[in-house]
Parts: sequence; structure tokens; C-alpha cells
Amino acid sequence: MTDTPKTSAIGRLWAALRAPSLKYSLLLVLTVGFFSGLIFWGGFNTALEATNSLEFCIGCHEMRDNVYAEYKDTIHYSNRTGVRATCPDCHVPKDWTHKLIRKAKASFEVWGKLTGSIATKEKFEAKRMELATHEWERMKATNSIECRNCHNFEAMSGEIQKQTVYKKHMAAKEKGGTCIDCHKGIAHKLPKEYKEDDE
Amino acid sequence: MDPIQINSHNARSIKLKATLTRKFSGILMLAAGLALISSSTFAVDEEAAKALARQNKCLNCHSVDKDKDGPAYKKVAEKYKGKANAETRLIEHITSGEKAKFPDGHEEEHKIVKTVPAKDMAQVKNLVQWILAQ
Repeated sequence: MTDTPKTSAIGRLWAALRAPSLKYSLLLVLTVGFFSGLIFWGGFNTALEATNSLEFCIGCHEMRDNVYAEYKDTIHYSNRTGVRATCPDCHVPKDWTHKLIRKAKASFEVWGKLTGSIATKEKFEAKRMELATHEWERMKATNSIECRNCHNFEAMSGEIQKQTVYKKHMAAKEKGGTCIDCHKGIAHKLPKEYKEDDE
Repeated sequence: MDPIQINSHNARSIKLKATLTRKFSGILMLAAGLALISSSTFAVDEEAAKALARQNKCLNCHSVDKDKDGPAYKKVAEKYKGKANAETRLIEHITSGEKAKFPDGHEEEHKIVKTVPAKDMAQVKNLVQWILAQ
């Protein structure tokens, strides 16, 4: 009678994965692997995009009743040309890597939802400065990357833009300024604690 | 009760009512007077005015006490001091998009102040009163 080696479940699974297929051809294994990969990747990205919509963002009342309600009164929601910037257009980077990093960080916000830290208007107002500051800092660090998906200094026309506004934009460009330096609170209410630099 | 007693009772009752009416009107007039004084002197909500100014980026071109692209609010207040139409004129200036003259002489449309809810004239009026109070 011979002793059979005792291995753990993980060890047996690992051994099975490492063993060559005796039943299926390499072509079949590769084909199944390729299509499984496609389905997984497609599903992952579809799920990622599903979380990247205005409807998803206002799925919780904290966003719907506060920042979304305010945004509806601004030019990014309704304007002369009919171009609308929705939540992810301004708050989620477009390229895949940065988008994934942003999403991973945003998942921590679920904790806020679970603990109800901004569950009422009063609680939201109490935290507005902190939340807005985080977003302003993020935008500053990325050189207002989301703003620049649609706006950039080079595309501004001195003929069409108001003279003083154009002058300010060109001065900002010259000194390496970024959109969020001056354009805070353009789509949402400014926190009550917020003060301008020269106030 | 004979007719003479009834008449005397009625007369006292009428006199009492007249006295009460006079006193009540006096109180009403005093309250109205106080309301008028408070509305003209103390009604400006400074924090709300500043919040509206910040939200509309007024302070990009104006400051309370120094000239930028636009005049200092203190200068505006001085210009309109004692003028009966000051409030109406300034409301018109910041809500109609009329031309504003800049230090270099060029003119361009003044930004229209936006409120939430839209076109809430009470908020605009409060902002103008705050500017005039500088």
C-alpha cells in the first residue's frame, strides 16, 4: 500500500491549472480563452461605462438633491448651442488609466453613502467646503484635464470672446494658470466658507 | 332696563371701542414705521450679497475698496450717494447686459447677474443695496 500525497484544495487547483490538456487541442483552448477574454473585457468596460453616466450619478439622493439640482441652473446643463456636459464629463478623466484610478478612488465615496455622512441637506452643507476642496485640488493637480477636453486657450478667439475675458485668459496662459484657478463653483453652489483670494 | 340706562350703556360701549380703535391704529402705525426703518436701514444681508457676488464672479473685475477692471464698490457707492434712482440704476446695470465702460475706454456688455432661483430680484436688490452701503 502506497501513501498518496496530501495536498490542499489550492494546491490541487494549481496543479490542475499547470497540467497540460490531454483532451482538448491547443487551438480550442486558445479560442475559448480569446472569446472568454473578449466577454470579460467587454463586460468590464460596459459596467465601467454604466457607472459613468449622469443617471448613475444621480441614482443617490445626495447627488440628485444637492449638486445635480444646482447644476441644472447652469450653462453646462442648458445653453444656446445645446451641448451638455454631464457629471463624468467634468469629474472623470476620459483616458482609461486615469478613469480607472478615479473610479477606484470614487469607490471610497460609497463609504460616505453607507455612513450617511451627507444624507441630509444640512450634513451636505456642513461638508461642502471639504468635498469641494478635494475636487478643486484634484482638478488643479491634473491641470483641469476634464475642462480641457472641451476648452483650451488656443481655441479662444480674441475676436469673439469679450475683450476683458480674453485678456484674463491670455494672462492665465502666460503664467501657467489652469481653469479651476478662476472657475470654481461654475456648475454648483460655492461653499459658504469660500472666499476669493483678494477678499 | 329703562331706555335711558340702555342709551348710557351704548354710549360707554361706543366710546370704549373708539378708544381701542385709536390705540390699535397707533400700534399699527408704529409697527409700520419700524418696519420701514428696518427695511431701509438694516435689511441688507451682507453674507448673502457677498455669496451672490462670489458665485457670479463679480470679484474678478470688482473689489470693495480698489479699482480693478471695474470700479471699486466704495467708488460706486460714493457716485450714487444721495441719488434717488441709485438702486434702480444699478439693478438695470447688472441685469440688462448694457454696455459698461472700461478704464482703457473700450465698452463691452456687463455680465448679467444670475440667481438661483432664476431672476430672483430680491437677491439682486440685496446685492445692489450692499454695494451702495460700502
